[in-house]
Amino acid sequence: MELAVALGLIVFKVAFLIAILLLLPLPLTWVERKVAGHMQQRMGPMRVGWHGLLQPVADGIKLLTKEDHIPAEADRFLFKLAPILALAPPFVVFVAVPFGESISVLGTEITLYVSNMNVALLFVFAVIGIEVYGVIFGGWAANSKYAVLGSLRTCAQMISYEIPMGFAVIGVVMLAQSMSLLDIVRAQADVWNVVYQPVGFFVFFVAGLAEAQRIPFDLAEAEGDLGAGFHTEYSGIRFAFFMVSEYAIVLLVSVLVVILFFGGWNGVLVPLPPLLWFVLKVAFFVYLFIWFRFTFPRYRYDQLMAIGWKVLLPLSMANIIITGVLLGAVGAP
Amino acid sequence: MSRAKDRVGTWIGWGFFADLANGLALTFGYMFSRPVTMQYPDQEKWLPYPRYRGHHFLKRDEEGEIKCVACELCARICPCDCIEVVPYEDENGKRHPAKFEIDTARCLFCGLCEDACPADAIALGQQYEFSSFSSRDLVIGRDDLLAKPGKAATGGGVVAARLDTKKDVRVETKETQGYNWWRNIRRT
Ligand code: SF4
Ligand code: SF4
Repeated sequence: MELAVALGLIVFKVAFLIAILLLLPLPLTWVERKVAGHMQQRMGPMRVGWHGLLQPVADGIKLLTKEDHIPAEADRFLFKLAPILALAPPFVVFVAVPFGESISVLGTEITLYVSNMNVALLFVFAVIGIEVYGVIFGGWAANSKYAVLGSLRTCAQMISYEIPMGFAVIGVVMLAQSMSLLDIVRAQADVWNVVYQPVGFFVFFVAGLAEAQRIPFDLAEAEGDLGAGFHTEYSGIRFAFFMVSEYAIVLLVSVLVVILFFGGWNGVLVPLPPLLWFVLKVAFFVYLFIWFRFTFPRYRYDQLMAIGWKVLLPLSMANIIITGVLLGAVGAP
Repeated sequence: MSRAKDRVGTWIGWGFFADLANGLALTFGYMFSRPVTMQYPDQEKWLPYPRYRGHHFLKRDEEGEIKCVACELCARICPCDCIEVVPYEDENGKRHPAKFEIDTARCLFCGLCEDACPADAIALGQQYEFSSFSSRDLVIGRDDLLAKPGKAATGGGVVAARLDTKKDVRVETKETQGYNWWRNIRRT
């Protein structure tokens, strides 16, 4: 009986998580287009529903009913595999991500995470690394120059930026003495990590922008010079898979930034429910992503590589050394 | 000296991403500024200036007689060859058009017909919504041209309007003078 309840709870949580992740891109695209519109003194979508609120639904229906086109010369197996490879990892990662301690419903304590792994951080980085295969296969299988160029760029970019990203969180791990995301948040109950690790936060956030392939690092799908990059040849529902995956990664990076550096669900000053604090913080970072997108131009490819290897990597290494020395000399805060 | 100081200041600013912050502040400010979008055709419509060359219309004289004397000068000067005039002579020996057709699908709204007319009989007005499912519908005959409204006295503003798809694909409005859109969008 105990086991059945526990299993049922896990299945329910996973289903709930998947539903949320699949549905969240709908409001996010609307918000993105609205913010884009108003930043450019336009109004964004206005015609479908109140202030265009139903526009994402209309777009979804359009994508679902569109012809699913596969280019004649494409590698059909890889072409079909790629969108799934791009979509699955961001969903899998959320298994290891906690959203809060627990809430009690009808007298039962329900934890707000699917699993509390002691190597959650490693798991996150390992799984998110797989996502790059979707992009590479997608670009390669389409047999199009734009797509191949886009996926080659992505390959180089993802690999270059995963290294500083991984180094940037080592300082956090040192402070919390744990790789479990839950323990990391608990360790920030009094002071958020961003106070001790500003450089780590900076490196992580910039590398996160690059991981999510958002402006100013969206070279993989640079509309101006590559058509649409690796998903140039995709249409219909497969294109939607790539879009959902992109938004899931934006969400993931925001969630990770909040958990690792901004105290997760720990609030300051205003006593709000922890879950609300968490959602508010994540929403802020998602907004920041959109805000950046419509403010900054795109970096050139060599600049992108230079930033990754010559700025972020040394910064993150220096951050580890200084954190270590300070921890040794002053002791844990 | 002060230039060197400025330069040092700039470098320090770059160190703290002052340029990026400036850009973000600018876009954030724009986000809360008034959109320049003219909500045509749902709520608003641009009413052109009186000098605008839109729809053609034929005029009548004081007796209510059609002014056109069917001299065909407008048909001659028209660069698109879209006016067709067939004259006839009435009981008083006056020439009038039996048939006067303008193919507005071909017209480029240059206004040369208005300039060429010796009898001041044809002119171009304010309407500009000519959408239609068939280009045959855009050929307008004499009686329709006579029934069209004449030159507008006002214009050059954005007015409240509603799209009316039942009668005709045309954005209807009752106002004659709207707000000045150009002044409205200017950021100071
Ligand atoms: S406006 Fe120009 S093109 Fe149109 S009917 Fe008159 S002369 Fe011809
Ligand atoms: S509209 Fe004017 S130019 Fe044209 S036929 Fe009549 S009188 Fe002549």
